[in-house]
Amino acid sequence: MSDPTTFLFAVVVLSLVANTGISLYGVFTRPSLVKKFISLTIFSDTLNSFAIAIGFRRVVGPYPSAAVLSSVPEDPDELLAFAGSAVDPLPQALVLTAIVIGLAVYMFLAGLIMLYHRHYRTTRMV
Amino acid sequence: MEVVPISIAAIAALLSIVATYLAVRSRDLLAAVVFSAVQSTAYALIYYVLMAPDIALVYIPVSVGILPAVTVMLVKKTERYEE
Amino acid sequence: MRLREVVVAVSVALMVLLLAYVVSAGGLGPLAPRELRELARSYLANAYNPWNVTQSSLSLEAVTAIVWDYRGIDTFFETSVLFASIVGVSLIFRGYRERPGIGGRGLSEIVKTSTRVLLPLILVAGVSIALHGHLTPGGGFQGGSFIAVLLVLATVVFSLDFLVERGLASGRLLALRSAGLLGVLATSVALLAVGLALGIDAYIFQNMVREGSELSMPQWLLDRPTGGTLLFFNVFEALAVAAGLALAFLVLSLREEEVGEAMAAGEWHE
Repeated sequence: MSDPTTFLFAVVVLSLVANTGISLYGVFTRPSLVKKFISLTIFSDTLNSFAIAIGFRRVVGPYPSAAVLSSVPEDPDELLAFAGSAVDPLPQALVLTAIVIGLAVYMFLAGLIMLYHRHYRTTRMV
Repeated sequence: MEVVPISIAAIAALLSIVATYLAVRSRDLLAAVVFSAVQSTAYALIYYVLMAPDIALVYIPVSVGILPAVTVMLVKKTERYEE
Repeated sequence: MRLREVVVAVSVALMVLLLAYVVSAGGLGPLAPRELRELARSYLANAYNPWNVTQSSLSLEAVTAIVWDYRGIDTFFETSVLFASIVGVSLIFRGYRERPGIGGRGLSEIVKTSTRVLLPLILVAGVSIALHGHLTPGGGFQGGSFIAVLLVLATVVFSLDFLVERGLASGRLLALRSAGLLGVLATSVALLAVGLALGIDAYIFQNMVREGSELSMPQWLLDRPTGGTLLFFNVFEALAVAAGLALAFLVLSLREEEVGEAMAAGEWHE
């Protein structure tokens, strides 16, 4: 094993793979609608984490910086150095809106489950 | 590249597997909500280490704050134990 | 039973650990790239670039610049989806009306006192994150979520009556939500309206000086960059997100009597 960071990054990504499997197992096999709801939120969070992991990068220096300039740049070379050390901002921008929109949609889903329970007096699907 | 921050992310990722499994398997739905919140906290740590502070800032109030509150309200209005 | 579940969960985690070791020992495995794609490098180099203003949004934060400037129309329609799902929640429980003073005294006095200390802090943090969205990590979505947590916390700890007594009933929250969305719409066409009035070419979602248009939003407020439209977008979006999420939670936490009356009025009654 050459680099410990390779191993550690592999642990993070493979954990996300395992979480995808476990949460899909919950969505498919658990009978309760509330449990399906909880598993579905974990599933969507895991997929968002994959997008964030795609945007990560390695740099030659100590550690990559966030996609935020810490001060107003004085000359164009500072901008080039920033672009050479910051992580990819595009997946972050996409996931940012997806999390908030997802929360609103899950609230709608929670209302539907409440209606289901009001009609059938249970939350069992099968 | 420094080893310490990314090893924190790896530990948080392993913790999130345990929390996810217990959340999916637990028969007490209230306990499942708590385990799901633990999983969300681990994910917030991962986002911070992967240099996404914007996502961490939006993820902590949404998935550790509001979503467990909504799910607890859902459990309270329906039923607590899964059959 | 419980111990067995924990043992299985820990062994799944151990399996992942060993799998990662095996994969990376063979020289395989996921690896973060050293070089970013051309698109990402262009975004990073142009987010704050006073030497190339026609492609820049003059915001120190690249994520907010992408969310509200480079991909502004996308975010506008995502906000519309948020609005639609909030309307859907209140449509499920349509006909409801909050009635103050029917039970629900909230949690114990200790929790209430500590929450009273906590609420102003959360409010200040949320407003600060929303206002500095173009300078530091944060923005409209983050600040709005913080303020929504405040309203949810108040609903849980002090009961539903706390918000209703302070005039934050569902009708008012829906009005605030619509005001936020209208503010986003007005900001996005502001320069277009100015251009139409003056007879100059302008674009929808225009922020700084663009090719073929000389109009520009203000670039500096005192000694800080404003990011042009980004400041206004962040403020309006924080308002919209906070009011929308709080409204959805308030509708979901309605008491049995209120929902029962609303259901009896509609055809959902069994």
